[in-house]
Amino acid sequence: MLKNIKINKLFFLYIFLIFTGSVVANNCNAVEPEEFLKDPKQELRARNISQNVRCLICQNQSIDESSAPLAKDLRIIIRNKITEGSTDEEIYKFLTDRYGDFILLNPPFKTSTILLWILPFIFFLIAIVVLYWHNKNSKKNN
Amino acid sequence: MRKFIFISPIIVFFCIIFIFLYLLITKSDPSELPSALINQKAPKFETLSLLSEKNFLYEKEFNHDLKIVNFFSSWCIPCSAEHKYIDLLSKEKGIKIIGINYKDDPKKALQWLDNLGNPYSDVAIDSNGDIAINWGVYGIPETFIVNYNNIIQYRLAGPITKKNYEAFYQQIIKNK
Repeated sequence: MLKNIKINKLFFLYIFLIFTGSVVANNCNAVEPEEFLKDPKQELRARNISQNVRCLICQNQSIDESSAPLAKDLRIIIRNKITEGSTDEEIYKFLTDRYGDFILLNPPFKTSTILLWILPFIFFLIAIVVLYWHNKNSKKNN
Repeated sequence: MRKFIFISPIIVFFCIIFIFLYLLITKSDPSELPSALINQKAPKFETLSLLSEKNFLYEKEFNHDLKIVNFFSSWCIPCSAEHKYIDLLSKEKGIKIIGINYKDDPKKALQWLDNLGNPYSDVAIDSNGDIAINWGVYGIPETFIVNYNNIIQYRLAGPITKKNYEAFYQQIIKNK
């Protein structure tokens, strides 16, 4: 009994460390202090947008995390557009007009990407049907 | 039916392997991105010319010829490597080659053109990379084929090499 509790505690500690680890990792970013906007609300918007925009040089990083020169240029453009009063949609449109949907880390839901979004659910349904059918058959055999 | 259920995952597995293998062999580089500007009007810009130290005359350069727009820089090693192919294309009739000098020191860029030869009808200065972003450039060298109507027809990301020159040339012929 005592042994079990100990293992549980260790387990939770382990989980805790994993999660705090990922939080710390998420806070690592490439945004340099001189880039910050004075208005914290605007800065927050800029950070949110940058986290959704792919760096095209190191393609699995967002421009918020990447220290590539192009990522920095794009961060500055986003901040300039925010101070000029552009909405988030206008900024995303500016980026996709030039670099395509690939620049968004979250692909948009539209006809060309519908399979991408829907396939997991289709597979899930197929799996449920197969499991149900298999279960029913094995009960019958028993 | 039961047998089929057992065999089907293996069949699916081999189908997936086959698809991956096919894509691996036929598609050269998945990190190479398609340009969002294909069939779009070439983005306009206002800047200085590297060669004349006056304004870059956009309307004059982007006229009714077939144009090749080459983003380059003196600090970019692959740009030096592809330069001989740009030079080769500049000797063709009816092709205009426009250079865009990306984030470069003008002195070094001029020195670079002195050393390697100048195939460009004019060179626009893109000192902070804004023109490149408007053209959807993500890493130089990049080369665009722009037709007589100033519509972008093709984009090659990365240098022109011995390997891709022939294919690139075919694209030019196609749009001439």
